[in-house]
Amino acid sequence: MLETARYEGRRRLRGAAVLTAGVGAYAGFIVWYFTVLEGVDYEDVFEDLPPAMLEAFGIESLSTIEGFLGAQVFNFVWLLGLGLYFAYVAGGVVARDVETERMDLLLSFPVSRSRLLVEKFAALLVPMIAVNALGGPIIYLFVVAVGETVPLDHLLLTHLLSVPYLLVCAGVGLAFSVAVDRAAVAERGAVGTVFVLYLVESVVGGAEGYDWIQYLSPTQYYEPTPILIDGSFEPIDSAILLVAFVGLLILSQALFERRDI
Amino acid sequence: MSGETDRPLVVEGLTKEFGSVVANDDVSFAVDEGEVFGFLGPNGAGKSTTIRLLLGLLKPTSGTARVLGADIRDEDALTGVKGRIGYLPAHLGFDEEATGEAVLDYHGAMKGERRREELLDLFTPPIERPVREYSTGNKRMLGLVQAFMHDPDLVIMDEPTGGLDPLKQEAFNEFVRDERERGTTVFFSSHVLSEVRRVCDRVGILRAGSLVELEDVEALLHRSGKHVRVHASDAAVAAIADLDGVVDPERFVEGVQFIYAGDVNALLRELAAHDVRDVEIGEPPIEDVFAHYYGSEETGDEGDGSEETANESGVDVSDGAGATNA
Repeated sequence: MLETARYEGRRRLRGAAVLTAGVGAYAGFIVWYFTVLEGVDYEDVFEDLPPAMLEAFGIESLSTIEGFLGAQVFNFVWLLGLGLYFAYVAGGVVARDVETERMDLLLSFPVSRSRLLVEKFAALLVPMIAVNALGGPIIYLFVVAVGETVPLDHLLLTHLLSVPYLLVCAGVGLAFSVAVDRAAVAERGAVGTVFVLYLVESVVGGAEGYDWIQYLSPTQYYEPTPILIDGSFEPIDSAILLVAFVGLLILSQALFERRDI
Repeated sequence: MSGETDRPLVVEGLTKEFGSVVANDDVSFAVDEGEVFGFLGPNGAGKSTTIRLLLGLLKPTSGTARVLGADIRDEDALTGVKGRIGYLPAHLGFDEEATGEAVLDYHGAMKGERRREELLDLFTPPIERPVREYSTGNKRMLGLVQAFMHDPDLVIMDEPTGGLDPLKQEAFNEFVRDERERGTTVFFSSHVLSEVRRVCDRVGILRAGSLVELEDVEALLHRSGKHVRVHASDAAVAAIADLDGVVDPERFVEGVQFIYAGDVNALLRELAAHDVRDVEIGEPPIEDVFAHYYGSEETGDEGDGSEETANESGVDVSDGAGATNA
């Protein structure tokens, strides 16, 4: 049972370690940078920026550590960086094995295609959990180290609620991965899709009449900055993300079961 | 009918089309329990397609097959018997970063590894090294170990000896004969006639997606003739090429080469009567076997019949009878 998930999960360990170290280092840099910028009047700095751009970068209150982290780390790394990363990695999950013909061997095992797909996808939880479970404490320690504080429950919630969002991004990658034969095509398709959805949400948000488009983007349903600042979030948003993820998973299974390898 | 269902492999009208290309066209045959069955054909004939259909990697356009009693269109049934099937694909896409040992551990956990150590004594891939450092032969040996280590009832192999050195190839032949003694059913594809003749009981020949012949190996060899290449003077070459049973002689500067389908003694007597500088007698390339013995009936399947009479003699068979694609 779960041999495939275990085997594939082990293959993800090194990537997960590198990812976590990279994100941790970036967070450390941002926390240090916050101390450098202390005393700058942000209202003046950003006065000239168009509202759409403020919206796009989630710039709300940069003068507090929560606001600064929300904009510079969570909006930038979690929402955009990790979203693209998991879309990319999931894009290779099936397509790369099909391309290298490793899938021939995997499908000679006495497991169904759908089971194999779910177990291979489950291995992506290794980096997803690592970057949150280790990234959170790393960020907290950096914040404490510079003499600031951030509410622990808000930080925990920010990480926890990022998981449904990242699952949807990975789900987009998985759907591409089962639909095409070449890993590079699946990876680019997935990254492109998630990136376009991110842009669309940022740009269309203010446009009356077209603002419904923003609801297509997963980024609409995970807003880290308010969670970090005052712990506010809508449970329905996470529910929508989870439903979307399950939908993408079922779609991927259906495509994978029907296709020729 | 009950006898049919007992056979480990029964293929019935199996057809697979990729767009307008018919890779398998109404292929039917059956393999008996404990039989070594060779699936012979030139590159591009559709052998791999048949094998991939049998393993459920591809879905048939029409027709079906039963593998250990499971209909290949029924995923659950096929998954249920896969633990009793060993599979060696033509191209081995192992996880390159893993060591051979890790690969076998994973395969063992998925389907069993009762015979792993025994097989590693016979085939000797360097399992402590990562697969990316393997030669083609080492990869093939690792593939053979994983295909047999769970002691399957049926083993399906696609070009199993590609990349093996002659010694390992002999070990493989010996091993397959032993497996037959143990009652394992073996189905493998090959484009090398000599490989098939050494170990197979029966042979099915696939050309351009269609099963052309199904016969025992003796009959096939009897019909396939010898490939002969003689270096001699022009006069000698002319006399030798006139011999009964010489098919399609091709002159080159120093001699002649041809397929010989007549009495071997007659050939040897003729050769001994001349001053021959050099001679090679070997098995014909499989493409030639097809061209000379199956080509004349089969080239008609795509044409509109205009060539049929010209090919009746079986002597002048065009290039089209060889490999259909690369």
